[in-house]
Amino acid sequence: MFALLNRNIKAVILDITGVLKDSGPHGGTPIKGSIEALNRLYSSGLHLRFCTNETTVTRHTLVSQLRSLGFTIDEEKVFPPIPAMCTILKDRNLRPHLLVHPDALPDFKDIDQSNTNCVVIGDATHQFTYENINRAFQCLMNFEKPILFSLGKGKYYQEDGELILDVGPFMKALEYATGVTAEIVGKPSLAFFNTVLNDIGISAHEAVMVGDDIVNDVGGAQACGLAGVLVRTGKYRKPDDNHPDVKPDAIFDNLEKFVDCLLQDKQ
Amino acid sequence: MRKQINVFLFLKRRLSVSMTNQIKAILIDLSGTLHIEDDPTPNALEALARLQARSEIQIKFVTNTTKESKCFLLNRLTQIGFKVQESEIYSSLSAARKLIDEKQLRPFFLIDKRALEDFEGVPTHDPNAVVVGLAPDEFHYENMNKAMRLLHNGAQLIAIHKARYYKRSDGLALGPGPFVTALEYASDLKAEIVGKPSADFFLSSITDISCQPSQCIMIGDDAKDDIEGAQSVGMKGILVQTVALSNGFLWTYHTILETIIIQNFVHLVNSYQLFHMFYLD
Repeated sequence: MFALLNRNIKAVILDITGVLKDSGPHGGTPIKGSIEALNRLYSSGLHLRFCTNETTVTRHTLVSQLRSLGFTIDEEKVFPPIPAMCTILKDRNLRPHLLVHPDALPDFKDIDQSNTNCVVIGDATHQFTYENINRAFQCLMNFEKPILFSLGKGKYYQEDGELILDVGPFMKALEYATGVTAEIVGKPSLAFFNTVLNDIGISAHEAVMVGDDIVNDVGGAQACGLAGVLVRTGKYRKPDDNHPDVKPDAIFDNLEKFVDCLLQDKQ
Repeated sequence: MRKQINVFLFLKRRLSVSMTNQIKAILIDLSGTLHIEDDPTPNALEALARLQARSEIQIKFVTNTTKESKCFLLNRLTQIGFKVQESEIYSSLSAARKLIDEKQLRPFFLIDKRALEDFEGVPTHDPNAVVVGLAPDEFHYENMNKAMRLLHNGAQLIAIHKARYYKRSDGLALGPGPFVTALEYASDLKAEIVGKPSADFFLSSITDISCQPSQCIMIGDDAKDDIEGAQSVGMKGILVQTVALSNGFLWTYHTILETIIIQNFVHLVNSYQLFHMFYLD
């Protein structure tokens, strides 16, 4: 049992980008101390899961990249939005028009994309051209009952030392143009966190989420009943320390400092 | 004729209290009110000429455009057959230029290349503002990222206007509004909107005429951008139904105080002259 803020913590759920690594070419670069910190978490006997809004690659590629960076990680412990999205599409008999990154398309290979009746938008990066966004817009305007899914709603993240736009701003653009409110798949949706908790088989108050996104990681986890911890890496910006809406349960300089504190408090 | 008299009665009822001040300026929207593409709306040429014949009335042509420079607008109006001076045109681009000059801004422009004509001489090094119009060629990922970073570093966000979409030959197409909204969300900022319906737009459009907002009539085909905007600064608003509106929509805007709906631009001029015969002349 581990104590954190008067909770008995049985599971740690980690964000990937901005916590384990920074994004960049060839899978990015590890954040200092994070490989060792992760190994110490494995040795502690705590349950570990990875909850990411990464949609620019397939889950398989993401895990391969992390391994080649030196991380120990198994594919079945990683929860990105696309597999969850595919389950929803199948359950609700929806056929998507996709505005997503080309490298993520293989994860949609089992999904019928003919005669579309919804739009799915992910972090499409360079595919976010006027004409591509316009096609998604025209689809929504032509549907009898427009449905828009967004794979997360992050505002931006850090890559090669610079902020770059995430899917959220483009989701907002489509919402404004069409008057449709997007359904979020991925963090911070309740259903997404619950999927991870169910996989571990514990209740929310026994888990802590560690992320660099004050709203989607920390706020999302807290709304779901988990403890929410912010790390000052990745997209973290100084104003996040005093966010108007979200108060993290704890803030650490990086993952290593969080693990130091958590394992030190071992009872 | 019956319709025109009804309009007259409507005008009389709604305007009489404040018409102790003579109307000194009429602000006229362009596309949809005075012309549709390259054609004048029914009888608009003669209606405008009759208004222009009254020396006590100043006329301003006010329009939301993000890609047509003043010079372009003037040429189009002249080609259609309207007699217009460049100084009578006040567009959302004019309003943006005014704001940029007043605040000494150095913008990063996300606007159509044709519109840059209205921003000649504006410094653009080391940008401290992002100015957004409708610019499909400029709305790509790199430019949107650059704009977001500038906003995070303290630049101001200025929107020429925030229209959701417009009609294009292949169907509906996104306007500047969605891209402004994207940048607002990414930067936690609110854009300053310089075009209609912003109050500053209407006030700025009459700064070179010596008159009060209450002495102005705005006539346009957009209930929100033209009418509500003008009314927010104390002008009279007259909505023209150049384009047929659904009943529900009409009902909503019938309820706006001081809004007068007429069928098209020529009816305004007819009614206005009737009005003057009875009350002012």
